Parts: sequence; C-alpha cells; structure tokens
Amino acid sequence: MRPSLCALSATPRYALLCVLLLIVGGCARRASGPRPGDAGTGGVVEEGLGPDDSSLDLARQGRTSGEGTVLRDVHFPFDSDEIDDASRAALDGNAAWLTDNAKTRIELEGHCDSRGTVEYNLALGARRARAVQEYLVGQGIAAERLTTNSYGKELPVCREETEECWARNRRVHFATGKQ
Amino acid sequence: MMRMMRLHAKALAQLLTGLLAWIAVTLVASRPAGAVVTGSIFGPGTQTIAVAVTPLVPPAGGAANAFGVEFARVLSRDLEFSGYFRLLDPRTFVQGSGGAADAIDYVGWAAIGAQEIVRGTIETSGDTLTVEAHLFDVAERREVGEAGRRLQGPRADLPRLAHRYADHLLEVLTGERGPFDSKIALVSRRGGTLKDLYAWTFDLSAPVRLTQEQSIVLSPSWRPDRRGILFTSFRAHRPRLFDVDVATRAVTAFTPAGAVYLGGAWSPDGSQVLATREQDGNTDIELLDRFGTVMQRLTDHWGIDVSPAWAPDGTRFAFCSNRSGAPQIYVMNLDGSGVRRVSSVGSYNTSPAWSPKGDRLAWTTRVDNGFQIVVANADGSGARTITTAGSNEDPSWAPDGRYLVFSSARGGWRTLWLTDRDGRTLKQLTPGNGDDSQPTWSTRLD
Repeated sequence: MRPSLCALSATPRYALLCVLLLIVGGCARRASGPRPGDAGTGGVVEEGLGPDDSSLDLARQGRTSGEGTVLRDVHFPFDSDEIDDASRAALDGNAAWLTDNAKTRIELEGHCDSRGTVEYNLALGARRARAVQEYLVGQGIAAERLTTNSYGKELPVCREETEECWARNRRVHFATGKQ
Repeated sequence: MMRMMRLHAKALAQLLTGLLAWIAVTLVASRPAGAVVTGSIFGPGTQTIAVAVTPLVPPAGGAANAFGVEFARVLSRDLEFSGYFRLLDPRTFVQGSGGAADAIDYVGWAAIGAQEIVRGTIETSGDTLTVEAHLFDVAERREVGEAGRRLQGPRADLPRLAHRYADHLLEVLTGERGPFDSKIALVSRRGGTLKDLYAWTFDLSAPVRLTQEQSIVLSPSWRPDRRGILFTSFRAHRPRLFDVDVATRAVTAFTPAGAVYLGGAWSPDGSQVLATREQDGNTDIELLDRFGTVMQRLTDHWGIDVSPAWAPDGTRFAFCSNRSGAPQIYVMNLDGSGVRRVSSVGSYNTSPAWSPKGDRLAWTTRVDNGFQIVVANADGSGARTITTAGSNEDPSWAPDGRYLVFSSARGGWRTLWLTDRDGRTLKQLTPGNGDDSQPTWSTRLD
C-alpha cells in the first residue's frame, strides 16, 4: 500500500500500518538530501519534501496524476488564473476536507493546456497555484500546510487537441504525500 | 576609285558594326542564363540551381572511398537544406570526381540538367583528412575559382569539413556565409516519456541524447563557447537552472537551491545570464552573473514576464509579458529602462528570438488554436507570419541571421523544421517519432 493513501485514510484501523510505512518510506527518501552546487550526473536530487504522488513522480512511473477523487482538480479559463464559480465550488469542497483532515499537507500543482509556449505556461501554472493557495488560506487553511509548484503544460492528463481535453488540463491539482 | 573607296568604307563600317556587335554580345552573354552569378543574393526557394555533388576521390586516383562518399552525402544534405539548390540523383551522373578538370564532360552534364558540379579529392594522412573541393559551372565550362577550397581536419570531424564547404559555397553564391557548421540543442521525448536535452548537427538523422534527468527538462540555452548548455530541470522537484558540460555530460547546478527559475539565456559574450525567476506566483526577469548569482532584478511587475532573448550587442533584450492583459513581446534595456512593446498584431505573442544580425526579431503568435512563426524588424515593424501549415513554435535564429529552426506539430509528431526569414524555404530536420521542441541554434563552430 502506498504511503500516500494513508493520508486520505481517516480510519484508525490502518493507522499503525500507515505510520510504519511512512517511517520506512520517509527513511528511504531522506537518504538523498539536497546538495547545493554539484547536482551530480543523472539521478534525482530531492530538495525538501515533495509529495509522493506529485504529477512528476507519477510521470516517472509512466502514469498521469488523475483528476482527484477526494480532493478535486480546480479548473480555469484559457490564459487565466481567475477562480470562477464552478471552481469555487470545488475549492470549497476541498477546503472542507482539509479542515476535517487538519494534519494533511498538500502541494498545489499549477497546470496548463497545450496551447501556448513552454515558459509562459510555467508562469501561468504558478499563478494558478498561487491563486488557489491564497483562496484556501482565506478559507482558514494554515499556510504551512500548503506548498505550490507549476508544471506548465508538461504533465497533461490528456493529449487530445480538443476543447474538452484542454479544459481538463487547465487546472490546479492537489497532490498529497508523506505527512 | 571613289566607288571602290565607298565600297571599302561600307565594308569597313559593316566590319566595325559586326565587331561592336560581337563585343556587345560577348559581354552580355558572358553570363548565360543558368550560370552561377557569384556574389548575387536571392532568397532561397525563389529559384534553385541544379547541382551534382560527386563523391571525392583520393588524389592519386581511383574510386571514391567511404570518406569521399560521406563528404558528398553531408554536403548534398546541406545544399538541399539551404533551399538554393536542387540536388541531382547520383545514379544519373555522367562522371565521378576522378580525372583532370579539362576532361569534364560538360555536354554530358548539361544533358542531365546539371548547372554546377562539385568535384574534388580527399586524402587521409594519419588522423588528418585533407579535402580539396572545387565547383565547376556547366554553362561556362570552367571552374568557379573562388568556390575552390582546401579544408583539413581530424577524421572524426569529417562532417564538419562538408559543412564548412557548404557554408563557403553559400558565401560565394549569396555573399552570406552559410550556417551549417554549427549545432542545435533541443528538448525531446525520443528516449522515453520524459523530456531530456539532445543535440543535433546537420549530418545526423536523429538527435543525440545529452541528459538522463528523469524529470522535466526545458529551455536550453547554449553558452557562447558551446562547451555548456544552460537548461531548466525539475530534478530537484521545483524548476531550477542547471548546466550540462557537452563533452563530459556532467550536470551541475547553476542557480541555487531555494530559488525557482523557469528558464535562462546566456548573454552573447558569455558573461551574464538573463533568467526568469518565480516567487509567490509572480515571475520576473533577473540578471545573473556567469556563476548564477543575482545581480539585478530587471522587471518588477505583477504580470507574467518570461522568456528573455538577448540582442546580439548585449545592451537590450526582448521578452514576453502579459502586462497589457495578454502575452505580447517587449524590449527592455539591460539596465531595466526603456520598456516598449514591439508586437502589435495578434492577441497572443510569445517566445521572442533576436537575430544574431540584430536587425530582426522572431516570435510565436497564436492563430486560432495553433501557433505560427512571425518575423519582424527589431522595432516590431514589418511583422510577417512566415509559416502556415501545422502548429509552429519556438523559433531560434541561425548564426547567419538568414535561417530559423522551429518546432512544428504536423502529421502527428512534433519535429524540428528549417525555414528562412522570408518563409520561402521549408525543410524537415529531425525525423518523425519525435516530440522535439524548444530548439536553440549555437554559434558557428569556428
């Protein structure tokens, strides 16, 4: 069982097992600490504590992130970081869950659709993540529970050149992980 | 007697007229149609010269060896890419490179439609190759003297000898040296599902892999000495700038931990880097020294400011900003002053690139749901969209300021394509099965 699922489990029954898994997982991760200056040749240098189910980690395994079951993806209009009414509803639902699960730490990942160039979309994704972070803090979620990242258009959930797929990719995804 | 004199005068007049006419015809006809007009400049793609590139032979005679064949192959590809030439099929050639120049069968060459012939020798001595290449004009039945060249280099650099000769032929033909003795760095997913840094030269088919980042790699920028490439990697979870040593493939951090950078660009003199910094959801452009230390923040705006592109004189740069509400191209002085918008057509303009000649900018513009390449003067005037088919992004200028490489999605794959600044020539560079993007063209190799 992946440690990330533990974060979503509120059942005390599996709590001990989860804790053990987290300890084991955490030890393995902490072995490679950040090394400023020399990044070495190849390999992954983890800096800080990124979530286990980040879209990048999943991509390394050849998987996409999914669009959230408990914590739903929040969507945006084209070239915008504005949170509209539909997104606000999803955000409020996520905020409620986060309030109920007060220990959970989340990484807010900003994503974009495939239109638009690489760097601009990285910047736009960062704005989207920031917008969601500010909204959640405004809803009373402690700021230290939230980190942000942007993947621009690099890690889409679908690749069709259609309005429907583009809309799915314009999102902030809630990645959870070791706590 | 008088009548005799009048007859002689008339004959003399006729003779003189004939002589003058002959002189006139000879002068006019000394450049018959189809011959190389040395030093002329016409855009690639408007007319092509039929050229036969024969494999080089050993100076002592005999058949062409593998080096001679490869030289001809690489030279032929470059001439084809240039858009100025139509390469004749070697199976139709009437002669090889062997034999004396005065034994060239011009009649036979003309019969297959050749206008120019490349012939020459290639000699191996130890690790050194020596090439003597010559260009012969079929209509004039003579060598084009200024196109002859002697080139030397180590065996492993054989392709470079051909590239250098192609660049020389373009200089003789157009007055502007060709760009083929250079490299292109790019991002690709050819090696798997994640992006890595690759390099490509005009003699290759598929690009060669440089990194194994196991993360997302973006936005390569050549260091002007071409020994390193600056790039963005997510290997440390959030994007930072790294440098890869082209010879050893060693990757080292360029920007420090704790700061998020989306992309960077080396200055033309290799002393500084313009980089896009992200903090708290906002992006701005910073000036870094060559060790990655921040010297100055240049943009200070709530909007998105990304993609700095240096002017070749190092005093200004172009960048993309959405400060007006949607992404457009701006130019700023290196001290942060004098911001002015240069893109005036279209609602979404990104990815600026400044010609090494300084006179033109290229960028990507959104058209419907795709993108096209725009070329304009450096002040933004005279903007023209130079691509039409497919969706085309991320232009990068060749060192000659004439050609551009860009990433194109047409036919299902994203591969690299070549065009010229007027959009007349169009050639695919990398093969399908690609997902090649963000090409960046190096300086010339010498």
